[in-house]
Amino acid sequence: MSFTIATTLDDALAALAAGARPVAGGTDLVVGARHGKAPLPEHLVAIDRIAELKTVTETADGVSIGALVSHHQIETHPLLTTAYAGLADGSALVGSPATRHIGTLGGNIMNASPAMDTGAPLAVMLAEVELRSVRGTRRVPIEALWSAPGRTGAEPDELCVAVHIPAPDPRANTAYVRLEYRRAMEIAVVGAAAFVALADDGTIAALRVGLTAVAPTIFTGNLLGQVGRSVADAAAAAAALSMEHSTPISDVRASEAYRRHTVGVMARRAVEAAARRAAGETIAIPVNRAIGIGAAS
Amino acid sequence: MTATPTATKPAPRFVRADGPDKVTGSGRYTADLTLTGALAAKFKYADVTHARITKLDVSAARAMPGVFAVLTQADVPSVKFGPFVQDRTLFADGTVRFEGEIIAAVAAVDAATADRAVAAIVVEYSPLPVVNDIEGALAADSPLVHAEWADYGSILVRDRNDASFASIAKGDVEQGLASSHLVVTSRYVADGCHAAPIEPRAVVAQWEGNKVTIWTSTQVPFDARAGVCETLELPNNRVRIIVPHLGGGFGGKCGFHYEAHVAALARVAKRPVRLVFSRREEFVAPDRRREGIVYEFHTGVDADGRIVARKAWLAIDNGAYTADAGFFSQLAAMHALGPYRIPNALAEAHLVYTNHQPSGSVRAPTAPQTCWALESHTDEVARAIGLDPVAFRTLNAVDTGAEGPSGQTYGEIGVQQCIEAAAAGAGYGNPLPDDEAIGVAIGWWPSFSVPSGAYVKIDGDGSGQIITGAQECGTGAVMTLRQLAADELGMDPEDFELVYQDTSVAPYDMGATGSQTLFNNGRAVVAAAGQIAEQLRNLAADRLEASPADIVLADGTASVAGSPDRGVPIAELAGIAAGGELLIGHGSGMPPGPPPTVGSTCVGDLGMSAWVAPQFSCHAVRVKLDRDTGVARVMHVSAAHDSGTIINPIGAQGQVEGAVLMGIGQALTEGTTYDDQGRQRNAALLEYKLQTAADAPPIAVHFVEINTPDAGPRGAKGLAEAPNVATAAAISNALAQLVGAPVRQLPMTAERVWTALTEQAAQS
Repeated sequence: MSFTIATTLDDALAALAAGARPVAGGTDLVVGARHGKAPLPEHLVAIDRIAELKTVTETADGVSIGALVSHHQIETHPLLTTAYAGLADGSALVGSPATRHIGTLGGNIMNASPAMDTGAPLAVMLAEVELRSVRGTRRVPIEALWSAPGRTGAEPDELCVAVHIPAPDPRANTAYVRLEYRRAMEIAVVGAAAFVALADDGTIAALRVGLTAVAPTIFTGNLLGQVGRSVADAAAAAAALSMEHSTPISDVRASEAYRRHTVGVMARRAVEAAARRAAGETIAIPVNRAIGIGAAS
Repeated sequence: MTATPTATKPAPRFVRADGPDKVTGSGRYTADLTLTGALAAKFKYADVTHARITKLDVSAARAMPGVFAVLTQADVPSVKFGPFVQDRTLFADGTVRFEGEIIAAVAAVDAATADRAVAAIVVEYSPLPVVNDIEGALAADSPLVHAEWADYGSILVRDRNDASFASIAKGDVEQGLASSHLVVTSRYVADGCHAAPIEPRAVVAQWEGNKVTIWTSTQVPFDARAGVCETLELPNNRVRIIVPHLGGGFGGKCGFHYEAHVAALARVAKRPVRLVFSRREEFVAPDRRREGIVYEFHTGVDADGRIVARKAWLAIDNGAYTADAGFFSQLAAMHALGPYRIPNALAEAHLVYTNHQPSGSVRAPTAPQTCWALESHTDEVARAIGLDPVAFRTLNAVDTGAEGPSGQTYGEIGVQQCIEAAAAGAGYGNPLPDDEAIGVAIGWWPSFSVPSGAYVKIDGDGSGQIITGAQECGTGAVMTLRQLAADELGMDPEDFELVYQDTSVAPYDMGATGSQTLFNNGRAVVAAAGQIAEQLRNLAADRLEASPADIVLADGTASVAGSPDRGVPIAELAGIAAGGELLIGHGSGMPPGPPPTVGSTCVGDLGMSAWVAPQFSCHAVRVKLDRDTGVARVMHVSAAHDSGTIINPIGAQGQVEGAVLMGIGQALTEGTTYDDQGRQRNAALLEYKLQTAADAPPIAVHFVEINTPDAGPRGAKGLAEAPNVATAAAISNALAQLVGAPVRQLPMTAERVWTALTEQAAQS
């Protein structure tokens, strides 16, 4: 077993090329190993000190978020909590304050859990993941990255270095809501993200919905048929379509029937919240607390 | 007799003695201990839930390098043990009956080697039919969990899978129901749940000659010692139990667990041995899981809503072995009748063997779930007769001088004041949004009157020590002993250090169980300090030329009554005593005996039908329901308690807050689910959902302080368990209003609430 600490991206990529696996916050890798899910890899390279992967950069096209940006950074970042609010909703729901300070966006994406909270919002934003190796760099649409629970299309020597999100139209925004049984240390029973763009008359100009924990991977739908319809109608349609296209399982957290019902509720709420944000309203992060039950306590 | 909000009482100014250690992280817990040469212990578990062992071969494990000991039942004395039914052995003895049954124990040079040795143990089974259903286990044709049940030693009323039957009968229940204006019949089912302390248990054992010292995370060190002595056939004075800081227990660390296994390993290995449980082991292995129970109730009322008769039937999941659950049937029968005036009552409770993990005392055993079922049923009765739930309880609950369902007539009690205070604190009756409701429930809990001992000494410099057998499990009860000693001696609580949790140093105490520490050990400390007070008065009387009867001990000074300027510092008297008769006190005091019951009979009587200094409570809980998903959120809890005099208000408030939060978890998210073989499906903290700080609602605490007969020191009763009784019930009654019908299974998970909502929608 070996453990090396990379201080530059090149060091990290060289270690990966030599067969090491990356560790940043360790909130999935270490916890999984302790619970017997998967043993720790034989060779680990710590990437948590690579400064260039810790930045959030506004670009001409949108925003680039380094893979080592923590959930806490995201949930408190002035740009991400406004123009990319759905992502901040997701990061704000992850684990506990401790998890959010140490857990990274890149780790969440590459862990490829269908229950991850940042995946659906990034997918409806049409985010791209930048994968880099000693062989070069490529960008992959995020939804295409996930191939199965816990699996991605990244090669073993590729490191997720950044996520690039296109800038939304002025009258567009996102929201992510999830079904949860408690307010911290929770995992999504089901979840839904929505991207809503509004026309000048307040009807739907664009609508995409992404669903969490109701299929082997997070998936999205582009609801072209809702263009020109009212938000209320589109939200109802999103709920019905989400229930129809989900393939949830029954397990100790919920039955298949309950997941199918509640994913519809989450989709409707995500569309409604995203539309309110798209119309210029500020809804506090995470939207779960703002529109969820007990928010006013 | 008015409710006194805690905030209006001046809090004592002493710092909790174990607080700085625990807050700063400098405190040492059992798993933190390291001894030179210590080995790591691991257990081989059955994993199957009911089978005969056809082959057990540990030779490969024993032969592995780094393995110092591998033990099975063949390597320890052949002793069947159990406090109520002697139905188990340290290791599986031919048959396994639940997944967490221990087949073998390994001590090896490190944990990884021990794991490999465990994996090398060969066990083959011949499967036996699994008993996975509580009610089904009572059927005449059910497979038996213990084919040899009739041969076991026991003091209980037993029959096949029924390990303990108890009933409480008063008046004529059938005639009472027949003559009632209206009878409501209900069925409820409570799933089992867990104590889930933050510290998984740990045990370290080291032999020196023929004596063993065992450091262990137990709530009951003397009980643990008794278990070791019984199973390893040792006298009490050769076994020393020491408890470092305990990382929570909630009842889960009561009883005798793995101290004997680790001591036996250490004896064979000739090295210290250390066992530290994983979280999964903490869920699956101990015989301390809150019991699932099936309930049927019939309550008849007259036209005015007065209870005429109540009949209750209970089947309680005992699990595979009878731990301390032997008394649960009688205790649950009391909770199933409840703190009500019932002229005609019959409760019948069966404690049923299954192939589940054994049940055992978890904070207020049988009470939260039975209160949940009974009080949900009670709201159904109130609704049927057209009475407001609070008015129904005010009309029917017991009161000072009233006779309860077991024929005990109560001295001064505060249940009616609790109802009034809890409702007022919740704003009961005020308009609420359509998605919110307030539910109300009342509960009760005994004070346990048992022997307990303590020493107090004051050294020549005037500093004191309290040497007590009492165990601190986090409640602060032991911490409060300093206050009692200080008050008795006119000193400051911080003048006293505590020496505790060591069976070879202190006299007997039952441990952190039954909310009894302050009630009984407080009495012992007051008695011990009283002996020193008498010594000090005599010394001061000599010095001040006054009568001992006129000496007042206050503010660190012994002075003559009425002449505060004629005084001598207690520290100076201690210096004098150090040169002559030393300041040493010992105390126990006589525990009050049980009150009489009249006009009722109890089959399977274990002294649970008449309660010394009973505690009462009423919780009023405001709940908000998301009707689209069934997710409920507790918005506010108003908890009123008659636990007698409150001696340490900060500690008492913390007890209520913690118990309420535990009750919320039991109500909404905490429940064990089993697969078709009786194995736990959610034995992990991600899937077994405890409440978090983020879920905690505001909790308003009211103490109704009354003059309790037969109370503990200064009129105190217990408080550790009582606040855990009524919360889930009150939440249920709020949810029933919001759903339109009760949610009849505990925990009332979001999915179960949603299912009830769906069924209601289908009916309307």
